[in-house]
Amino acid sequence: MASYTIKKGLNLKLTGAPDVSIRELPASPQRVLHPAQDYPNLKLRPKVKEGDQVKRGTPLFFDKKNPAFQICAPAAGTVSAIEFGPRRVFAKVVIDVAGQDDCEAVAPLSEQAVLGTDRDTIVHQLQQFGFSSLIRTRPFDRTMNPDQPPKSIFVNAMATAPFQPDLAVVLPGQESAFRTGLAVLSRLTEGKVHLCLDGNKTNGPELTGAPHVEIHSFKGPHPAGNTSVHIHTIDPISPGDVVWAVQALDVIRIGTLFETGKYPAQRIISLAGPGLKENARAHYKVQEGSSLAPVLAEQKAFDEVRCVAGTAFFGPKVSTDSPVRFHGHGITVLEEDRSRLFLGWLLPGLKRYSLSRAYASTWLKPKKTWTLGTSQNGELRPMVLTGLYDKYMPINLMVDFLVRAVLAKDSSEAIQLGILETVPEDFAVAAFACPSKMDLCGIIQKGLDQIEQEGI
Amino acid sequence: MKFLLKQLEEGRKPFMPGGKLERLHPLYEANDTFLFTPSEVTHGAPHVRDAIDIKRTMIMVVLALIPAVLFGIWNAGYQFNMVNQTGDTGMIANLIQGAMIVMPIILVSYLVGGLWEVAFAIVRKHPINEGFLVTGLLFPLTLPPTVPLWQVAVGISFGVVIGKEVFGGTGFNVLNPALTARAFLFFAYPINLSGDQVWTKVDSAMNSIQGFTGATPLAIAAQVPAGGDVLAALHQADYAGFDWMRMFFGTIGGSIGETSALACLIGAVILILSGVGSWRIMAGSVLGLFAAATLLNLLPGEHFKAFTQLPFHYHMVMGSFAFGTVFMATDPVSSAASTAGKWIYGFLIGVLIVIIRVANPAYPEGVMLAILFMNVMAPLIDHIVVQSHIRQRKNYLRKFSYAKG
Repeated sequence: MASYTIKKGLNLKLTGAPDVSIRELPASPQRVLHPAQDYPNLKLRPKVKEGDQVKRGTPLFFDKKNPAFQICAPAAGTVSAIEFGPRRVFAKVVIDVAGQDDCEAVAPLSEQAVLGTDRDTIVHQLQQFGFSSLIRTRPFDRTMNPDQPPKSIFVNAMATAPFQPDLAVVLPGQESAFRTGLAVLSRLTEGKVHLCLDGNKTNGPELTGAPHVEIHSFKGPHPAGNTSVHIHTIDPISPGDVVWAVQALDVIRIGTLFETGKYPAQRIISLAGPGLKENARAHYKVQEGSSLAPVLAEQKAFDEVRCVAGTAFFGPKVSTDSPVRFHGHGITVLEEDRSRLFLGWLLPGLKRYSLSRAYASTWLKPKKTWTLGTSQNGELRPMVLTGLYDKYMPINLMVDFLVRAVLAKDSSEAIQLGILETVPEDFAVAAFACPSKMDLCGIIQKGLDQIEQEGI
Repeated sequence: MKFLLKQLEEGRKPFMPGGKLERLHPLYEANDTFLFTPSEVTHGAPHVRDAIDIKRTMIMVVLALIPAVLFGIWNAGYQFNMVNQTGDTGMIANLIQGAMIVMPIILVSYLVGGLWEVAFAIVRKHPINEGFLVTGLLFPLTLPPTVPLWQVAVGISFGVVIGKEVFGGTGFNVLNPALTARAFLFFAYPINLSGDQVWTKVDSAMNSIQGFTGATPLAIAAQVPAGGDVLAALHQADYAGFDWMRMFFGTIGGSIGETSALACLIGAVILILSGVGSWRIMAGSVLGLFAAATLLNLLPGEHFKAFTQLPFHYHMVMGSFAFGTVFMATDPVSSAASTAGKWIYGFLIGVLIVIIRVANPAYPEGVMLAILFMNVMAPLIDHIVVQSHIRQRKNYLRKFSYAKG
């Protein structure tokens, strides 16, 4: 096992960490999907219409460009509504749960059986149930394309951003599914599968002794747990390379799919953050598509909160009655903080969290754990300070110049400066610290989109 | 506070789109966010943000300038009282006299520069930038206390408009606006900005103190012939002699903010501790000055100007080296942006300062020109650093493709 130490970054000391207990969240009678929101880059075509009976795992949509890729029903019942959004995208699908939870079943495959199965069969099964979208290609962070095999696959078993489910809480009882999932990945590439563990804590034997993979351990502050950092350190992306990235929590789901031969709709997610009441911050066993309102809406700690499907650093906003989405493993709830402080630019600022050393809090309360809201703490300004971003970027990049290249729409310079090694999430810490309140994540996303359109 | 906040919210209406005073929105906005931090929430990732913003950043620079401002005010009064032998050189008397000399200069700078800033904000429809709080204070500190006020107005107008706004405003300028303004005045009105007679206000109705010529240490050092003793010449000059300690504390005539290396040092500590100013630029500049001055010291003194023999620590407290290095060279917009670039940029400023001081017959001081010249060179330095970074990245990536065969 190789160990790496990452120095640059930030461990955001944020209140609201989830409890290590796993609670059961009662499933709602309806299951809801937002296909257009969850798959913004796909042209979806329907396979069912309102009133159709579906089983768990019955395909609802397929991708026009790649018909093998399907989006499936997370529960058995009746499709009671299909709602359209602007330009007739499929905004919402509602399934009224009914019957005995019938499943579309394929032959179950054990860990050993997976190793003896050919790649095409495995790819087909992943696509058939939509699970291939859990495997992301780099660069550009898209659903894996089986026709462009990766030079290696990275499994991320390290969550450094606040807050993600704790693998040590989720994994017990699902070790076999995890191993099977790793076996599935090992069948997808000629290269290696790298499992990256969190060196900041002790990992159990099910991780340190995981089969079919090469094991690495990363130590250090966020974003040490971002896959881009792992790839950059172990097997970096040159222009033209393709690497796949999977979350360890998704490996468990993939393993379960193959072991049972059925669409797994149940999983464990974390609901946390300072915007939730303290006793509601925990790990929850949930059904995909089931409403999270019993926790998010009823246990919120502030009148106006923001729910983020992801972490305080990165992820889309979702509503308090959001269903459990197919992607992602946690929701972070923050106070929507519109409060205004009198003479905030002048006062010492003992109650304001800053990395900049320009507030008294940095000097007098260096160890404090903070309750942060969504206040931007200032207005957008032109880039003034330089060299600040690099302090929070463990990948060998000159962030100032990369951002400038993207703003100037200079794709070839952006590629030379390493944009292909990154995803927008990697810039979230730098953006957090930016006094000009630049939208670094959005800028990098635009740059990647432009390069993807133009071709490398 | 709640009452004030309510008043502000109610007063907002005419300034919003469609309102009568819509065009003046930048003014309302500046006043509004001056009183209270904005209520704006993050629009996307990251969903939480650091408490620092540009307002706070710029205020830290202003804070770092306060020692130089206060000392400058006191010193302007002290020099006036000493040289003119008014008989009253108490702390209070010096401050009052100094404030009468300095405050009008600062006020004109803020007022006229501020008007330009607001005018451009309204025409361009962008918020008023806090950077002006710094420019408007930096500029008067570079001026001699005797500067005519109309020249202050002309200078700051040139600095803000030509030095900054024509490039697109704060963040887009190539040159440091305050220094651009200073350079413009220097070349447009040399009689009022250079020579021996401008650094201390002399009242012709009163008797000047014996030994006072008005010449600055740099001017004196430049006049010592080959083979002469430059330190002795300095120590004998002026009414109290220019020894190192006096020049370090800054109780000498000169531009308002530049004389005290001590006040600039305090400013440097504030800038570095708060993370606003680049310590690399400052350190590079000191290193460059040390290297160039020490190399010149090695020249045979009897064949060259005695100025070449001046030790580096005298260079550091003479003229505006301290002020320029701490406050002008570190301007993040016009300096080099890359980490390695900052070292190179600072180092070359230090080297250039010594070269201009010693080798140039026309100007005794080289700080302003050295920094402006390096402002222009900063993008080139960055370009070289970035190209080498790109090469190094390529080698790193290639290493992994070779390993795979």
